[in-house]
Amino acid sequence: MVTTTLSDRLADVGLADADARTLYRWLLLTRALDERIWRLNRQGQVPFAIPARGQEAAQVGSAYALRPGHDVALPYPRDLGVVLVLGMTPLEVLLSALARADDPSSAGRQLPMHWGHARLGIVSSSSPVGTQIPHAAGIALAARLRGADSVTCCFFGDGATSKSDFHEGVSFAAIHRLPIVFFCQNNGYATSVPLSLQMAIPNVADYASAYGIPGLVVDGNDVLAVYAATREAVHRARSGDGPTLLEAKTYRLLPHTSDDDDRRYRDPAEVATWEARDPLPRFRADLLAAGLLDEPSDAELLAEIHAEIDEALTQAEATATPMPDGEPSLART
Amino acid sequence: MSKKSDKTAAAERPAKGATRSAGRNGQAERAEAKAKQANGTAPKYDLRNVSESAETLIGFYRQMLLIRRFEETTGEMYTRAKIGGYCHLNLGEEATIVGTMSALELRDYVFTNYREHGYILARGVDPKLIMAELFGKEAGVSKGRGGSMHLFDVESGFLGGYAIVGGQLPPATGAALAITYRGSDEVVLCQMGDATTNIGAFHESLNIAQLWKLPVIFLIVNNLYGMGTTVERASAVAELYRKACAYDMRSERVDGNDVLAVRDATRRAVEHARKESLPTLLEAVSYRFRGHSVVDPARYRPEEEVKHWRNLDPVMALAHGLREAGLIDEAGIKQIDDEINAIVVDAVRFADETPAPKPEELFTFDYATDVPNVDRSLPGDHTGITQDG
Repeated sequence: MVTTTLSDRLADVGLADADARTLYRWLLLTRALDERIWRLNRQGQVPFAIPARGQEAAQVGSAYALRPGHDVALPYPRDLGVVLVLGMTPLEVLLSALARADDPSSAGRQLPMHWGHARLGIVSSSSPVGTQIPHAAGIALAARLRGADSVTCCFFGDGATSKSDFHEGVSFAAIHRLPIVFFCQNNGYATSVPLSLQMAIPNVADYASAYGIPGLVVDGNDVLAVYAATREAVHRARSGDGPTLLEAKTYRLLPHTSDDDDRRYRDPAEVATWEARDPLPRFRADLLAAGLLDEPSDAELLAEIHAEIDEALTQAEATATPMPDGEPSLART
Repeated sequence: MSKKSDKTAAAERPAKGATRSAGRNGQAERAEAKAKQANGTAPKYDLRNVSESAETLIGFYRQMLLIRRFEETTGEMYTRAKIGGYCHLNLGEEATIVGTMSALELRDYVFTNYREHGYILARGVDPKLIMAELFGKEAGVSKGRGGSMHLFDVESGFLGGYAIVGGQLPPATGAALAITYRGSDEVVLCQMGDATTNIGAFHESLNIAQLWKLPVIFLIVNNLYGMGTTVERASAVAELYRKACAYDMRSERVDGNDVLAVRDATRRAVEHARKESLPTLLEAVSYRFRGHSVVDPARYRPEEEVKHWRNLDPVMALAHGLREAGLIDEAGIKQIDDEINAIVVDAVRFADETPAPKPEELFTFDYATDVPNVDRSLPGDHTGITQDG
């Protein structure tokens, strides 16, 4: 077996040691903020939560390959890691979770985690599954027509690939070779339906062959592998070589939403198996082994992140809720 | 030496299916695919050594000729304003229709798109009642309320006639589910055009059909154009039967001008459905001789191409094969021609003379009501059947 150091792997995908620390910070921030929102939901402060836990590497790794504000992202509700990396602040996320008037996503009008941020190129999302896929194809077509070199990255779960929207959106993007990356986080369940009861083939990436585009399976719990695969797909899109269908195999460690009891359809032993593959400790161990992180600085980083979230929460709680007769107060720039 | 770890290497390796088709949509490959499709050949029937009886073969010819004459007359009646609304003809697709329909039994079910006159004829429904429907008459198969795109006949298992592109796929899949639910062994044939393979309902239906092992045959009639758009411009994978790979579904492509080849391919699909309760994606390549609908002059098609396919006329080819094999002579051909003409003339006369629905019955069979907010009528309200039985 070829043993490689973390630095070698980073160099392979065009990243420096500092990038590894940055990625780790995004993973930690996503995990910590996700935990906080979940807790706020249990305390009755956040009405509804759609957890990211377990999928942070897939989200952070893919978003890190995009140019924030230049490329267009259509995240799905679980994509906390994506929107953070693209530039949404914990304050903005909490304004959405607490349905405040200053929420940049929808001024507190939509469900929590229905991301939208005009300046950052994050397209407002709808609750129905998969509707963002044809929208993304249209946005990529618009970029082509405008002569812009921005890439559209469309995120969705495995359940969305069984929807008609997936077929039409991917088909259209494929025939017109649009600058787009279709990024599927396959966490094994469409709400409660396991993959084997949802599609007739084992890999979402294999759908690509029906559209004549490249399809790729990647370990979604390996942040560097996800980054490398997305970077390549983004490069392909930006150079005019058309779409790619990426499938990050991952797992959500919490229920589908705060209103779901996953014990009704998942074996706790299965969850435990995936707990052992948690992308966060895995990357932490790599960093520690490579000497890019030590225990004291890790603890310090975590404390810093918690302080950042505390501060954001205090600020968010101090802002107003939408008034019944009020206009959305946030300037949409 | 590669420094990549095992995992990274695995991540960068394209998925199995993708390798096969990566780069398929290059310009050169598209041109090649187009050339392949356009180079149809006239079926060379050697009917001396086939196991089919002369009666069966001549029966196929009769049915194909009936569709041909019926559709020519339909086009004519449209220009005479006897038929209104939308109207799509099966001219050029006779071999596909007769080939597929002859492989089914009467207890099987057929769903089609709006280009369906030939299918319901081949199911044995009286041409008079079909023409009456096209004329919008009360005696029509849908009581004159449906018209060309909404033909329907329960007795022959012809369950429509769907005007929305792809609209027939989910109900056809549902019918196949009903068959497995009842535990019987009928088969559903669901016809569609080539462009329908790009519609979302195609994806949802094929996925479910394979996943739930449903006895349904998805028949693509690839006539090379989705209205005015060529298959190559509308689908990144131009060999449409290959789309079955996304569902791990059995699939096959057949020359839609060859009635026997179509019949045999359909038989294989029927067996797969009836015995294994599994779906098939069957693609029959043929050509429509006229525009997308009767009002489409089809200026988007090169003259040369139309001429090429006209020379492959499936009806003429079968007549030629029958004569070559000595199964029929000129007098026999003429006799069939006369019989079919008489049937079509009869159908037109009947459709012309039979009464239109009464204005006061405009809302019979409809969800809509003549006066806003009165009790809505529901299906079955006017059949005399009550809920108590």
